[in-house]
Amino acid sequence: MTTKPAYVLEANNITISFGGLTAVNDVSLQVPFQSIISIIGPNGAGKTTFFNAISGFYSCDSGTVLFQDRPINGIPTDEVANLGISRTYQNIRLFTNMTVVENILIGQQPRLRSTFLDAILQTSRNRREEKQSIQKASNLLDFVGLSAYADDMAKNLPYGAQRRLEIARALGNNPHLLLLDEPCAGMNPQETAAMIELIKTLRSQLKIAIVLIEHDMKVVMNISDSILVLDHGEKIAQGTPEEIQSDQRVVEAYLGSGTENLVEKYSQRKAANRKAVQPHVF
Amino acid sequence: MKTLFSKSIQFGIIAGVILIFSELINLTSTFAVILEKLFNSAKTGKTASPLAIQILTGLVVFFIAYTFLRKKNGSKSHTAGQEIGSGLLMGITAGILISLLNVILGTYLAKGQDIRNYLDAVSPEVISTFLFQTDIANAVIRYFIATILGGLAASLLHLVSSKTNVSGKISKFIQKIVQQSKIRIFLNKYPYMTTILTLLVVIAVFLLPVLVNAYAISVLGIVFIYAIMGLGLNLIVGLSGQLVFGYVAFYALGAYTFGLLTAPKPFGIEMNFWPALIIAIFIAAIGGLFVGVPIMNLRGDYLAIVTLGFGEIIRILINSNLLADFTGGPQGIKNIGQPTQPALTAKIFGKPFDDNVWFLYLILILFLVVLYVVFRLQYSRTGRSWEAMREDETVAQACGVTVSSYKVLAVVIGAAIAGLAGAIYASRNTYTGPGEYAFMVSVNALAVVVIGGMGSIPGTLLGAFIIKGLPELLRDLENYRMLVFGALLIAMMIIRPEGIWPVKRRTLSVTPESIEVLKKDLKP
Ligand SMILES: Nc1ncnc2c1ncn2[C@@H]1O[C@H](COP(=O)(O)OP(=O)(O)OP(=O)(O)O)[C@@H](O)[C@H]1O
Ligand SMILES: [Mg+2]
Repeated sequence: MTTKPAYVLEANNITISFGGLTAVNDVSLQVPFQSIISIIGPNGAGKTTFFNAISGFYSCDSGTVLFQDRPINGIPTDEVANLGISRTYQNIRLFTNMTVVENILIGQQPRLRSTFLDAILQTSRNRREEKQSIQKASNLLDFVGLSAYADDMAKNLPYGAQRRLEIARALGNNPHLLLLDEPCAGMNPQETAAMIELIKTLRSQLKIAIVLIEHDMKVVMNISDSILVLDHGEKIAQGTPEEIQSDQRVVEAYLGSGTENLVEKYSQRKAANRKAVQPHVF
Repeated sequence: MKTLFSKSIQFGIIAGVILIFSELINLTSTFAVILEKLFNSAKTGKTASPLAIQILTGLVVFFIAYTFLRKKNGSKSHTAGQEIGSGLLMGITAGILISLLNVILGTYLAKGQDIRNYLDAVSPEVISTFLFQTDIANAVIRYFIATILGGLAASLLHLVSSKTNVSGKISKFIQKIVQQSKIRIFLNKYPYMTTILTLLVVIAVFLLPVLVNAYAISVLGIVFIYAIMGLGLNLIVGLSGQLVFGYVAFYALGAYTFGLLTAPKPFGIEMNFWPALIIAIFIAAIGGLFVGVPIMNLRGDYLAIVTLGFGEIIRILINSNLLADFTGGPQGIKNIGQPTQPALTAKIFGKPFDDNVWFLYLILILFLVVLYVVFRLQYSRTGRSWEAMREDETVAQACGVTVSSYKVLAVVIGAAIAGLAGAIYASRNTYTGPGEYAFMVSVNALAVVVIGGMGSIPGTLLGAFIIKGLPELLRDLENYRMLVFGALLIAMMIIRPEGIWPVKRRTLSVTPESIEVLKKDLKP
């Protein structure tokens, strides 16, 4: 008799270092089912690195990652995807020379069973699966509002649409947990508002738990159940949006000491960052 | 004005240098002979007539000048006088250069010095051909006439076409035809017509062997064998994105396995065609597994170098005295088996086909089988996973593609197809030896894939025709065959870097269902 685990994901005391640099230092995070959790922190705080640890891109130096009570440390990324964790990337990484639908079909990989022999022999399993997966891809496209682009090359999509496509692709494997790395980066206010809506629907309609990294404080304060603040690889605070806004340490870590409104300052920073090229791979 | 002046001289120099270069390697007179043969079928011998050389010289200047004028006038237009002056200037510049060369060469000839020690192609006969068998002064006048006429013709043509905008109208007209072509609309309306058209093409291809002569049959045979190889390599390089260089190794494995199984020596097994073919494919696939597993974690350059090494190892092994008892060493294997023609064909067509015709049919049928297999693979989950890996290996894996097994799968299937090609090749020649498996074969197979368009199935077929068929068509060019071939390849890659027939993506999307379906679907 198994009881339903308390959290969809538990990361306990994660530490990751690159040579001398400790990018993530003893950080823990619990993600309840159907929750939206934001990770914030200055550039280079270790947010993306923390994501990479959860999704199997990097192995942790110490600490454990439990997915529904099951340890997933050190397992390859394709198996992480099989279990039901999906992610998007800070600088969009689509399969650029494939169509939008094909991108989502790749996202469904963990749910497909037909082999190359099925394909050559055109077995009924192959035909059925092909039909179902294309239907599902079309449904997902409709859900994220990209039906108009369905058969275009991914590289020809406008920027905002590419971010949405990454999310649609990530939904292909029926995830329990979705990791979004700066989903609103570089978007204008309208696109940002639409993205907030989409993220909320993901939770309310599709019952998916979401962890997102975001620099836009308006977004973060708007949708998060809980916020985790990292600085120099360390967790300096975690709490509800209200708690974080009034946390003196957070304000100092970001902005130096001062009384100005955190949200204000942050959006200025974001505007400045928008032009800066992101230096990392992920 | 000044820029037009200096640019005209610059392009005149370009034309002149091309002329000089072509003369020094004796390319001009070879082309001149071909040109003559086009208009005068009675023409024999290899000496070009003065007129043909003059026309060719004029044409070179004409093309260069016309290209220049067209580009130049994109920004601002010139008066008619300027245009003609520019053409004249280009003609004169080119004329000066080519005359200079001929004056120098003519002087050497007059002194009785042989300069073949330095310039291999320039024999005294060649020089006198280029001097039009007359004296130097006369030849110089003729060259100037040719180049100046070429330059003037270019400027006149450009004047006429830009004033009346003929070329623009023609290109618009062609575009219109292509866009609104009845055939297109017709095909869109009745999708099954595409199938019928494809069938017609297949039938036409199948009629070929009985229609063409023996030489064409042998060329077609090798073209389709390369097309089969190309389809296999296309899976590995074009789809899964692994730059495997030693592809010839699998080809050799197939050929040798087939040879050893069917030849009377050294083992005397003398197996039938079909079981031997299947075993050959199987052995090549196992070879693919042995190569594929160790290289699955290599990327890019490392992969290319390691697989290149593998190709060489196989070639050296089959050539070595060490294995001579098994492989025949440098002598290779003789009397390799051929398939017997089924009695059925004789019954249907009255008499059996000639052996070479029958073999070409066999190659065509096997080609179609391979075509079907790769087509199915490409447009399936497997093919898409390969492509995703090619696009971004890390992300593909994070999407759930088991990258290493898909990589090995691509190499194994590609190797099996190469093994098939090798076996047919050995059977067709009834002989196989180490000389057949040089590195060049890998390069050619790779060229077949790249020229046609990576990942494109029809492109691969086209690539095979260009790589193996075109050089045969260019036979008249003799020594310059490979030079012209190389130039054509370069030109193609500049004009269409994505390949001649790039992949066309399929339209897959269907009408979406309601969100309720998605909700149920996505229930984790
Ligand atoms: N693969 C790597 N090798 C070495 N150092 C790395 C690697 N990945 C990240 N780092 C370093 O780890 C630190 C944290 O990087 P990380 O990408 O996690 O920051 P971030 O919080 O996502 O910042 P940003 O807001 O700019 O995306 C940085 O100093 C970065 O240079
Ligand atoms: Mg980051």
